[in-house]
Amino acid sequence: MYKFVLKRLVMLIPVLLGVSFIVFSILSFTPGDPVEMRLGDNYSEEAYQAMKEEMGLNDPFLLRYVKYIGNAVRGDFGNSYRTSQPVLNELAARLPNTILLSAAAMLFAVLLGIPLGVISATHQYSAVDNISMIGALFGVSMPNFWLGLMLIVIFAAGLRWFPSSGFEDWASIVLPAVTLSVNSLAMITRMTRSSMLETIRQDYIRTARAKGLKEGVIVIKHALRNAMIPIVTTVGLQFGFSLGGAVLVETVFAWPGIGRLLVECIKLKDTPVVVACVLVLATMFTVINLCIDILYAFLDPRIRAQYKTAKG
Amino acid sequence: MTNEKNRKKSQVAAIWRRLRKNKMAVLGLVILSLIILLAVFADLLFDYETLVIQQSAALRLKPPSAEHWLGTDEVGRDILARIVHGARISLPVAFVTIAAATVIGGLLGAISGYGSRQLDNIIMRIMDVFLAIPSILLSIALVAALGTSMTNMILAISISNIPPFARIVRSAVMTIKNEEYIEAARAIGASDARIIVKHILPNCMAPIIVQATLSIAGSILAIASLSFIGLGISPPTPEWGSMLSTGRQFFRAAWWVCAFPGFAIMLTILSLNLLGDGLRDALDPKLKT
Amino acid sequence: MDLKKTVVPEERASQRPLLDIRGLRVEYHTDEEVVYAVNGLDLTIGKGESVGLVGETGAGKTTTALSVLRLIASPPGKIMGGQIWFEGEDLLQAKPRRLREIRGSKISVIFQDPMTSLNPVYSVGDQIAEVIHQHEKCSREEGRKKAGDMLEMVGIPRARYSEYPHQFSGGMKQRVVIAMSLACSPELLLADEPTTALDVTIQAQVLELMSNLKEELGTSLLLITHDLGVVAQVCDRVAIMYGGEIVESGTIAEVFDHPHHPYTIGLFGSIPTLDETVDKLKPIQGQMPDPTILPEGCAFAPRCPYASEVCQHTKPETVCVGGGHQVRCLAHQGAFQSPELMEEVRRGR
Repeated sequence: MYKFVLKRLVMLIPVLLGVSFIVFSILSFTPGDPVEMRLGDNYSEEAYQAMKEEMGLNDPFLLRYVKYIGNAVRGDFGNSYRTSQPVLNELAARLPNTILLSAAAMLFAVLLGIPLGVISATHQYSAVDNISMIGALFGVSMPNFWLGLMLIVIFAAGLRWFPSSGFEDWASIVLPAVTLSVNSLAMITRMTRSSMLETIRQDYIRTARAKGLKEGVIVIKHALRNAMIPIVTTVGLQFGFSLGGAVLVETVFAWPGIGRLLVECIKLKDTPVVVACVLVLATMFTVINLCIDILYAFLDPRIRAQYKTAKG
Repeated sequence: MTNEKNRKKSQVAAIWRRLRKNKMAVLGLVILSLIILLAVFADLLFDYETLVIQQSAALRLKPPSAEHWLGTDEVGRDILARIVHGARISLPVAFVTIAAATVIGGLLGAISGYGSRQLDNIIMRIMDVFLAIPSILLSIALVAALGTSMTNMILAISISNIPPFARIVRSAVMTIKNEEYIEAARAIGASDARIIVKHILPNCMAPIIVQATLSIAGSILAIASLSFIGLGISPPTPEWGSMLSTGRQFFRAAWWVCAFPGFAIMLTILSLNLLGDGLRDALDPKLKT
Repeated sequence: MDLKKTVVPEERASQRPLLDIRGLRVEYHTDEEVVYAVNGLDLTIGKGESVGLVGETGAGKTTTALSVLRLIASPPGKIMGGQIWFEGEDLLQAKPRRLREIRGSKISVIFQDPMTSLNPVYSVGDQIAEVIHQHEKCSREEGRKKAGDMLEMVGIPRARYSEYPHQFSGGMKQRVVIAMSLACSPELLLADEPTTALDVTIQAQVLELMSNLKEELGTSLLLITHDLGVVAQVCDRVAIMYGGEIVESGTIAEVFDHPHHPYTIGLFGSIPTLDETVDKLKPIQGQMPDPTILPEGCAFAPRCPYASEVCQHTKPETVCVGGGHQVRCLAHQGAFQSPELMEEVRRGR
């Protein structure tokens, strides 16, 4: 079993390398001369060349990439063009906020979405089912930044229940987290419902009923457990989307996370920060997908068996 | 030959019938058609110069009224007019991005499926890496690198939509590749291109159409999102996302400035999702009516 | 509670049947049509008795079994009428709680396809232990031990307790299902084509297992099958089902030696025997009736070689033709004379 986890971890590395290579390549095209940005307005040709050498910009592309990665794994993402401070500082300050926001949003989506999906499936065509499905349809189609603005109008400006921006206290996270969660909540509810509907039709559910088990036990222990795999896949995918969506939501709510940092630095052409932010977010997504893969093995003994044998 | 044509016709008719039965899908189709119609006739309905471009301090931030059904924005422009003209931007651009993604993705998928094992592996690994980056992030990174412009935005969104189409075509190719009638076709001298067009394309038409519909919805969201954070289409072009962005500062007092453009985005995406879901159900041969 | 009029006269309270199905009617309602699956079925099973329920696919056998425990999928399926008496109560009126008490402990079911009957994510041992814990007051340990005992009883080593269904073959899966169904020593076991999905050699093994267990535990058995050979092997009595009702029933000897109903005669006639040389197989002419239409008269009339005018319009009633042997046929009822039929009956097999 541990071999399986190890194997997956090892497979992570080429993907991460690939991701970092692509991100690095894309962003090395950024317009704007980094040497100029460091030197300011007045500089001589010698100073320019010297600085260029110092910044390592004379190296061939691949070498620059390798050096970058070598440093990055030790936490050194270079220095920000704006502040000349290590990128790591800003990153370290902001990353926890984004993780908090994403985690809160996903937790909300899962804790509400799965039960709602189960109830919709077991009470098909009931009022709960119809309302949930219509709600889910809107939830999937709703631009999260628009929803955020609307929530601010209603709850912050209007009712004044929550602050409209920033991260001061625990109340601050409510609106941003809800906003970020809506797309995922909708997808998870839909997927849970459809997966449950399929599972409930299976023969072993009839067997469980024939054993005299209580309906609740049948639904949770027998049906939901088997329905989990597509649901878990969806949760993983949604986590990815919400990492991207965090960029938008953080902008709307002025949430001090790396999403907002990313956008600001793009506008200010502070490339080292941009590269670091994208890398961190992409890495988070990849790691989450790995966890989902490992989770599959725990959920389904048949998958576990596949990995126990030489394959996998 | 005519037999095949007749068969195709009746297949399409059957699919259309199934789609018609699905009320939600029909609703989506109706809404989408309305939006498209509005976009096509935008110039007739709302004069571009006076309503969309011309600024007027006197008409600033007026709430919805008989003259301005959805109110006016922060520089006095009629919001309804801007929204309708905005459709002329979002819809074609989204369509172009997905058309490009379909063609390029399809080609990649075909090459991958048809070619050697190694080639297949390489292409698929690259796809995996692209899929490992959330698509919004990828688009943002691409635009950040290339610079903010409509062309770059289109490029960025197209690229991030390639993987699903490559997957679909590749799997269709792999399924068909080893079928016996392909060998027969090759034996009588049919070229690879002919095989691809005649045999493989029909097999993946259905999933491609469904994926395209849903991807266009995603593309509309991407366009609006990028424009919202300033990396897409810039003002004064009446793009829905950028309308939300510029209206942000004023919307607390004038909620309509952000409410309606955003609603337009949602409605368009909703109709495409409904249609896409409906198409998926109608085209799925395994589904019982 | 009065017993059926066509029942053997010396019936006493202590000989009250274990299961008494009376006038069961079940329909399936889809968007387009109504399917009449079971139309006035009467069937009894005594204590310790094994009864075979024989019929072609689509005759309504599975529906009958599912109805006993009310396991019919309720949106399309609906039990329209009838009574099912078990231990002094009508199961069709029982409260859900009581039904749950009975399921798995007093009456158990084995379904047709072992490949899909077991939950893939739980070990076979745990699935057997689950039914034990549900119905018997015992500790987790005791339950697990008893589950292990059941595994041994069906010929699976106790050591395989923690393995998952996908690690077993079809025949072994069916053994697990049998173990699960007998774990709480039920009074009645309903087996719906338990061996149809298995290889012929495995079939024999499983049937033998069921036979032995039945002897050991004294369980009554309702064995549903389309295979007359299986019935002869395992059962005491047999009931022949056609068009949603029982057309003939009796002991194995009675029915096999002297089949009375034209359908039964046709069934036996269609089975080629080893010691006869025939040119063609002799299937029964015609097809099963359309289940969406309730026939006016006898359901078998269109295909019956002995049918007369009366058969098209009048529904036959069940009559007793000797001992416990009952037939539902207008000719035997006396509504008309059919010398050919009587000759066939007299000759027997």
